[in-house]
Amino acid sequence: MRDIIQIFFIFVGVFFVLYLIGYSTFLFLSVTIGSSELYGLKRMNLLKNELSNRYYIPVSVIVPAHNEEVTIESTVRSLLDLDYRLYEIIVVDDGSTDQTAEVMQDAFHMKQIGRPIQKRVRCQPEEAVYETREYKVPITLVCKKNGGKADSLNMGINVSKYPYFLCMDADSVLQKDSLEKIVRPVLEDDNVVAVGGAVRPCNGAEIKNGRVVRYRMPNRLLACMQVLEYDRSFLAARIMLDKFNGSIIISGAFGLFKKSVVVDAGGYDTTTMGEDMELVVKLHIYCRESAVPYRIRYATDAICWTQVPENLRDLCRQRRRWHIGLFQSMMSHRRILINPKYGLVSFVSYLYFLIYELLSPYIEVFGVLTVLLAFWVDFINVPFMILFFGIYVAFSSILSLAAFFARIHTIDLKLSVPDMLKAVGLCVIEVSCLRFILAWVRMVSLLGYRRVKHNWGTIERKKININ
Amino acid sequence: MRTEVLLYAYGMICASMIIFNIIYSMIVNGREPRLERRYKRIMKRIEQQLDGIRDGERVEEKHLRYLERKLSHVSTLLAFDRVMTDLIRTESDAAVRGYLQQIQPVILHLALVYRKRESVQAAYFAYFLAKHKLKKRMQMDGLQQVMVEYMRMDSLYCRVNALDALYTFGSPENIVEAILLQDKKGAFFHEKILTEGLMTFEGDHDQLILLLWEQFEKFSLRTQLAVLNYIRFRTGNDKKRMFGIMTDEKRNKELRFAAIRYMGRYVYAPAKEPLIAFVLDKDPLRWEYAAISATALGRYQGKEVTDALMEAMHSFNWYVRYNAASSLQEQGLNYTDLIDIVGGRDRYAREMLMYLMDSKRFERGREAAEG
Repeated sequence: MRDIIQIFFIFVGVFFVLYLIGYSTFLFLSVTIGSSELYGLKRMNLLKNELSNRYYIPVSVIVPAHNEEVTIESTVRSLLDLDYRLYEIIVVDDGSTDQTAEVMQDAFHMKQIGRPIQKRVRCQPEEAVYETREYKVPITLVCKKNGGKADSLNMGINVSKYPYFLCMDADSVLQKDSLEKIVRPVLEDDNVVAVGGAVRPCNGAEIKNGRVVRYRMPNRLLACMQVLEYDRSFLAARIMLDKFNGSIIISGAFGLFKKSVVVDAGGYDTTTMGEDMELVVKLHIYCRESAVPYRIRYATDAICWTQVPENLRDLCRQRRRWHIGLFQSMMSHRRILINPKYGLVSFVSYLYFLIYELLSPYIEVFGVLTVLLAFWVDFINVPFMILFFGIYVAFSSILSLAAFFARIHTIDLKLSVPDMLKAVGLCVIEVSCLRFILAWVRMVSLLGYRRVKHNWGTIERKKININ
Repeated sequence: MRTEVLLYAYGMICASMIIFNIIYSMIVNGREPRLERRYKRIMKRIEQQLDGIRDGERVEEKHLRYLERKLSHVSTLLAFDRVMTDLIRTESDAAVRGYLQQIQPVILHLALVYRKRESVQAAYFAYFLAKHKLKKRMQMDGLQQVMVEYMRMDSLYCRVNALDALYTFGSPENIVEAILLQDKKGAFFHEKILTEGLMTFEGDHDQLILLLWEQFEKFSLRTQLAVLNYIRFRTGNDKKRMFGIMTDEKRNKELRFAAIRYMGRYVYAPAKEPLIAFVLDKDPLRWEYAAISATALGRYQGKEVTDALMEAMHSFNWYVRYNAASSLQEQGLNYTDLIDIVGGRDRYAREMLMYLMDSKRFERGREAAEG
C-alpha cells in the first residue's frame, strides 16, 4: 500500500514541479516584460513620443447600469469631465428596481423622446429613451427590460451613433485623459479592433476633475491586497499577451471596440456571465476565420478607476461570477484549444487561461490536500516543505511588488513610506492566504452556476471619492 | 535539486528587479533637480553671450561648440527645451533675437546628429523644433530638408513630430515632399493625423492645396482621402475638381464619399442632380452613397430636392432615413409640409421624422436657455 502511495506522490510531485515551473516562468516573463514596457512608455512620454490630443475619433461611451442609483450621477459627471471632444454618453438602465433612471433624469434634466433604434444586435426591447443636449456632449438614457449586462451593452451598441464604442461599469471613473489614451492605438494602427484599458482599484484614491490628486493604499486590508493582485495578474500578464496579439480578455470595466466588427461578430453573448472575455475570444475567431487583419491591443496608460469589494463576502461573489464567466467563455469557444489555425492565441493565451486560471483552483486545492495526505502518512519532508512554501511566497511577493512599484512609478503616483511598508507586508498575506481562499471560492463556483447566470452580481456600492 | 536551482535563479532575478525599482525610483526623484541644474548652467552661459551681443559682439565659437557637444545628449536637450521656452518669452529683446539667429548652425548640426539616433530621441528633436517654431526665428532651408529625411524613420511618432515641425516651417514644397516620402515608405499613417496636421500648416494654404492637387494621383488612397478632407475643411474653391471625383465611377468609393461631403458643405449647382440620383438609388449595395448624399442635400434648395428626401424617408436603410430626416429639418420644413410622412402609414419614416423634430426642439430649447 505504501508503495502505491509513494508512486502516487512521485507522480503528483513531478506534475507539480512542471506546473509550478510553467506558472513561475509565465509570471516571471509577464512581470519582467510588463515592467520594462511601462518604463519604456514612461521614457517615450518624457521624450514626447506620443500623439498629441488634437486627433479625435468619435466614440460612444456605453454605461450599462442596474440598480446604480448611488453611483450613476457621479460616474456620468466624471464622463463629462473627460479631456476629449467627440463622444456621446449612453446609459442603459437594465430594468433597475431602484431610482437609477430617476436620478439620471433629475440630475441631467433629461427629456423623453421617441427615438427609433436600429437593432443590429439582439437585445431586450426598450421601454423609454431620454435625451439631453444641455452638456458638452449628448447624453442618452435607455430604459429597457432586464436582460443582464451583455444585453445592456448590446442595446448600447444599437443606440450608439459613432464607429467606436467604449464599455465601462457604472461604478467606475475614467481618468481625464483615458479616452484620448485608449483611442491612440486606433490612430497608430488601422487594424485595431479592440483596445483594453488598465483598471485600477480606486479605493484609497482621491479623484478631482478626473485626476488622482491623492493616492493612498486603501484602509481596508482586503482592498489593499486586491491592488497588488490587480497589478500582478491583470497588468503584467496583459502587457505580455499584447506583445503577440494574444489578449483574450478586455475588462468589461474599460474597453474600446470597433463597432462594425463587433456587430459582424454578433455582439455580446447574453447567455454568458463573462461577456467581456467571450467577446474578445469571439473577435479573435471571427477575424481569423474571415481573414480580416486585426489587432487587439492593451493601452497601459489609459486608466479607469474602479471600486473593488471591501469585504470578503462581496469579493467571493465577484470572483465566483468571474470564474463562471471564464468557464462559460472557454467552453463556448473550446474549439480553439491547441488549434494551429488560431496561432499563439490558442497555444499560449487559451492554454494559459485553461491551466492557470480555469483549472488552477482545482489543482491548487488538490495540491493542498495532497500535502495533508502526505503529512498523515508521514511521507513529507517538513523542513523542505516549509522551504518550498517560503520560496513560493517570496517569489510571488517579489513579483507582485515589482509589478506594483513599476505601476506606481510610471503613472506618477506618490506613495508614503507607511503605504509602501503596508504593500510589502500585505503582498505576503495575499499570496499565502487570500490566494488559497479565492482558489476555494473559484473551485466551488461552478456548483449550481446555471441558477445565477443572468445575475448582475451585486456588491455593496459606495460613492467614489470624486470632487 | 534542479528545480530548486531554477527557483533560486528566478528569485535572484526578481530580487534584482526590486533593486532596479529602488534605483529607478531614486533616479526619477532626482530627475527634476538634475534638469533644473542643467537648465541653470546653460542659462548662465547664454546670459553671458547675450551680454556680449548687447555689447556688439557675436556669439563665441566656443559657446557654439559647447552647445553642439552638450545638446547631443537628449537629457541636456530636455533642459535646453526649457531654456528656449524662457528665451522666446523675452524675444522682444533684440539680443535674444540675435542669439537665436546665431545658433542656427548648432540646430542644423543637431538635426543631423539626432537623425542617426534611435527613433525615440529623433522624435523628441523633431518635437523640439515644432514646439519652438524655429523657422520663424531662423532661416534654414537645410534644416527642412533634414526634417523631410526624418520621414524615412520607422517610428510613427518621429514622422508625426517631423511633419509637425515642417508645418511650422511653412514650406508647401517640403510638406508635399514629406508626404510623398511617407507614402513611399508604405507605413500606416492615419488620415485623421494627416488632415488635422495639414490644418495647422503655417504657410500659404492655397499654394499647398495647389501642390497637393498636382501630386494627387501619386498619393496612396489613405493620403488622398486625408487631402480631400483637408481641402473640404479649408476651402470651397475646388468644387469642380471635387465634382469630377464624385461623379467618376472608377474612383474608390471612399474618395467619392469625401467628394459628396464636400458638395454638402459647399453648394454647387451641377452637383444637385447627381446627388438626387444617389439618394433615389434603391440598390442596397449602394446605400452609403444614398446616406451621405441625403446629408449633403440638406443645403440644396428646390422641390426636386425635397421630393427626393421625402422619398428617401421610406428607404429600407436606417441611415438613409435618418440623414434624409435630418436634411428635411435643415431645410426648415415644418409639420404641415411634412404631413404626408407624419400622418402616413410608414411607421419607420414617421418615427424617424418625429424623433428628428423632437431633437430639433431640444436643441432650440437649449439655445434659448443659453440666450
